[in-house]
Amino acid sequence: MSPTAVLYVAQAIHGLAYGMLLFLLSSGLTMIFGMMGILNIAHASFAMLSAYFCYQVLVMTGNFWVALLIAPVVAGICGVLAERYLLRAVHKQGHLAELLITVGIMMVILEIVKIFWGSESLVVKVPPSLSGLVNFAGLTYPVYRFFVIGLSIAILGIMGLILFKTRLGKIVRAAVSDADMVNALGINTPVVFMLVFGIGTWLAGIAGVVAGPLLTVFPGMADQLGMDAFVVVVVGGFGSLGGAFIVALFLGELNAYGIQFIPRLAPILMFAFMAIVLAFKPMGLFGQRE
Amino acid sequence: MKNNNYKWILWVVVFIILAAFPRVFGIYYINFFAAFAIFSLYAVTLNLMLGYMGVLSFGHAMFFGTGAYATALALTHIQGFPLLPAVLVGGLAGGLLALILSPLLVRVTGTAFAMLTLAFGQLIFVLALKYREVTGGEDGIGGYPIPPLHIPGVASIDMTNQVNFYYFAVAVVAICLFILWFYTRTPFGNVVVGVRDNAMRLDYLGFNLPQTKAINLIVCGAFAGIAGAVHALLQKLVSTVGVLDINTSFAPIMMAYIGGVGSFLGPIIGSGVLHLLEDLVIRFTQRIGLVNGVVFILVVLYAPTGLVGLFGAAKAKWFHKEKVS
Repeated sequence: MSPTAVLYVAQAIHGLAYGMLLFLLSSGLTMIFGMMGILNIAHASFAMLSAYFCYQVLVMTGNFWVALLIAPVVAGICGVLAERYLLRAVHKQGHLAELLITVGIMMVILEIVKIFWGSESLVVKVPPSLSGLVNFAGLTYPVYRFFVIGLSIAILGIMGLILFKTRLGKIVRAAVSDADMVNALGINTPVVFMLVFGIGTWLAGIAGVVAGPLLTVFPGMADQLGMDAFVVVVVGGFGSLGGAFIVALFLGELNAYGIQFIPRLAPILMFAFMAIVLAFKPMGLFGQRE
Repeated sequence: MKNNNYKWILWVVVFIILAAFPRVFGIYYINFFAAFAIFSLYAVTLNLMLGYMGVLSFGHAMFFGTGAYATALALTHIQGFPLLPAVLVGGLAGGLLALILSPLLVRVTGTAFAMLTLAFGQLIFVLALKYREVTGGEDGIGGYPIPPLHIPGVASIDMTNQVNFYYFAVAVVAICLFILWFYTRTPFGNVVVGVRDNAMRLDYLGFNLPQTKAINLIVCGAFAGIAGAVHALLQKLVSTVGVLDINTSFAPIMMAYIGGVGSFLGPIIGSGVLHLLEDLVIRFTQRIGLVNGVVFILVVLYAPTGLVGLFGAAKAKWFHKEKVS
């Protein structure tokens, strides 16, 4: 391939890797919103928390795979606790109170992270098997980004199977469309909510761990990831997984090529895109309801 | 009649406290009080959206910050720009931004409104960060002259004197608060509350819904811009992280919630509580965000009506003769 073509392909894979990462993060967010009507502002904070857990496990054991396994689970447990003891308590007061509780959680997580790990950027080292370069049709590319893409596809495949092939998935999908009706049919929706919140946070946790080596781990991570994930969920349509998938990939590419061609405007492109979509479709591209 | 007398006495007491404040407390607390007053006005404009119109503005800092930047830019680039127009330019910029955004914002409610304002807030934050030729990027704009207050034929009051500036800031905030209070009492203010309670019914009654919302947004934006302008004059420095970032958007939400949403006095009380809390906490620890976050969670959990609501409930409990509202 010619050098220019190589550059274009490299940026495309860059965008794909970031897009998949964004989808990992926003799938949990959009599922939680679809079921419970909560816009979880603290979602990316849980991802950041997980990235710090990953760093801690790495310091203690030195094994990235163990960290990848443990950190998201611990973050998921934190999410379940937050849902059970904070969000459920204000459920009666309506969505605004739930939204504000998550703002409070976000602030607390940010400060806790600063207390335990400080404000500096921490470097997460990937294991040697992932840190090399791979030769791919005349283009050398970091293995780690391919690993990000592969892992995301694998996890999302499993989640898709659970969501569309099992009884639990059926209940979750039913609850997304009408939680009250599912409750009336004798299914314990609070438990389902708690479970979905936990799984959503777990997915965010995986995204956080995977993002660690790419972005380094620092307290501003939640803002950086969170804003992108919100744009994905809002543009894709609240509660729409398919919409989130398409928009996440599109934003990943928009980001990658934006940085290549108009570096100064790249961060603005995303918000401009969101404003344009919402101007014509206030519910987002694939959203059915608010 | 008796009630009216009490009210007058209360106002006189408040006036004397405000006037005597700089004589009693030092320079540090003068600036502290001026900051409290500015944020009170800022939080009240947020509450006019949240409590009166029923939509949460999640990027309120864009109005505040635009006002602050407009004032700073005008003072930097225009030689001898007078004081009052500098404040008005801030309000104008905030109102203009609200006017430009209103066609989009009036179409959405609830969570979508919160997200859309958050997105525009971030958009403007990033714009200010990137266009460093105009805004100075992360460093911001500083070192602009603070003009004196010219009263033609009477006097020219030096505003670099902090005591003088304190009186000026408090006067501006008080006038703005009075205008806003009056605004909520007008028939139009009642229509805005109607939008919150039952928008569809108002629509059927023949009120023009989008225009009503847009006018309220512009009023909120303009007064938030004035708050930003006074903030720029007080701090003598405007930077993106100080006036446009997400924490500047969260601050008035917390103030409104802690004080009490939907009550006019609530955000002012909330602003006072938060500023006092910060002043107190900063002596022991740097972790002001942790304390704020925990207080905020506790308020949302246990006192959703805020301090004003708690006070009302206590009054109803202890003085049974008072009608429970």
